Amino acid sequence: MPNRAPWLLAVSLLSVTAMLTLWSVATNRGWVAPIFFPSPQAVWKEAVVILGNGQLFTDVWMSSRRVFAGFFLAGVVAVPLGIVMGVWAPAKAVMDPFVSLLRPLPSITWIPLTMLWLGIGEEQKIAIVFMGSWIYILLYTVESTKRVDPLLIRAARNLGAGDIAVMREVVLPGALPGIIAGLKVTLAISWSCVLSAEMIAAQNGLGALIWQAKDFGNLALVLVGMVCISLTVLVTDLLANRLEILLLPWERHRRP
Amino acid sequence: MTAIADLSFAITEGEFVCILGASGCGKSTLLNMFAGFTQPTSGTVNLRGIPIIAIEPRCGMVFQSYALFPWKTVRHNVEFGLKMQGLGRGDRAAWAKKFIDMVKLGGFENHYPAELSGGMQQRVTLARILAADPEVLLMDEPFAALDAMTRQVMQEELLRIQAESRKTVLFITHSIDEALILSSRIIVLSARPGRVKAVIDNNLPTPRHVDIQLSPKYAALKTRIWDLVADEIRQHEG
Repeated sequence: MPNRAPWLLAVSLLSVTAMLTLWSVATNRGWVAPIFFPSPQAVWKEAVVILGNGQLFTDVWMSSRRVFAGFFLAGVVAVPLGIVMGVWAPAKAVMDPFVSLLRPLPSITWIPLTMLWLGIGEEQKIAIVFMGSWIYILLYTVESTKRVDPLLIRAARNLGAGDIAVMREVVLPGALPGIIAGLKVTLAISWSCVLSAEMIAAQNGLGALIWQAKDFGNLALVLVGMVCISLTVLVTDLLANRLEILLLPWERHRRP
Repeated sequence: MTAIADLSFAITEGEFVCILGASGCGKSTLLNMFAGFTQPTSGTVNLRGIPIIAIEPRCGMVFQSYALFPWKTVRHNVEFGLKMQGLGRGDRAAWAKKFIDMVKLGGFENHYPAELSGGMQQRVTLARILAADPEVLLMDEPFAALDAMTRQVMQEELLRIQAESRKTVLFITHSIDEALILSSRIIVLSARPGRVKAVIDNNLPTPRHVDIQLSPKYAALKTRIWDLVADEIRQHEG
């Protein structure tokens, strides 16, 4: 992303301030009933409370742990499998029908089965994240492996590379940018998986926070939870971008 | 579809042979067979009397589109062939440096290909293949994508490098000028299916520079080749 001009930044800040002011005026003047939409002050009060008693940290931490466990497992399974499918057509032929069947299923459809198999503990949440994530990582990996320029493979063989060297020196680094792009997209999907799993059955986590707040009719707390989800996913995304820069030094010319 | 037919010629060690032909006469197919990327449906391509039946690292290919590894720096691209040959890290670096200097890219060792101009990328490709030390250099219109001035510089570089290394070069081009400046022999191919139309010994004096284009001898040879090529194009379109 090119550096934005300072005045554009000012415009963004202005629009946020305007939005907050409108929200504040509309709720405090009674234009919108508090049971439909709480005021920013009420939201802030709730935020201070759960920040103070440590509940927010616990929830963010628990959700993050589940996301990363499920996401990590999905990556460990799907990246190697995807590479094999990308370079070896029979493996793709074996997996394709299952991939086509599993792909349209939203991760929440796995909740009944995973609850039956794993109960309602951590394993079940991690399984939901896993089921919702691995297919996407797999598809991205297969595609990026297949898209590695065949000319580069030829060039490598012409320079004396055997099968293993072609894999290590050409296919893997060639597919890496696509795989990392896929992992980044999937990470956001993993987050939505954990939230739905936590809304159905969990004692803690950001999804549970929202759902319990809803049961108590505490809309301000629901909003706190939503903002926290946004911020947490944004922070994860920033971290993922830093990691991408470290892993793909040869794409540095594309960055500002 | 037959790209080339009834084609037969031999190349001696140390020769610089240009294969000249209009587009679509199977020049690239021919070169791909030398590299072992494709196999002829009939006939054989022999290297020192033995047919080439698999990808042949002794015939090093310089691709028109460079085919550099984007994720490797200039140094690591040039070292690639040496790494494949099992050379240790220290030897690789020293050997690669020699060729990076030969193509005048000293100081750019740690750049990635995307950070270089087209001419520089083509020089990296050249250094990479020279470092791997193949017996034959196969060059598939390597300078076609370069601007006219860079192309001239590259042609002179190539002549200098070939004079130094005494490598056999098989160079494909559709430019008569390029063929005349570079080669010791020119094989003119007919249009599809490609056949040998004529073999012309290029006895213009060496070492050559671009100003050779001003000599009467050059003009005479060029006219002769142009007649052959034009004849082919007319026949093909008529």
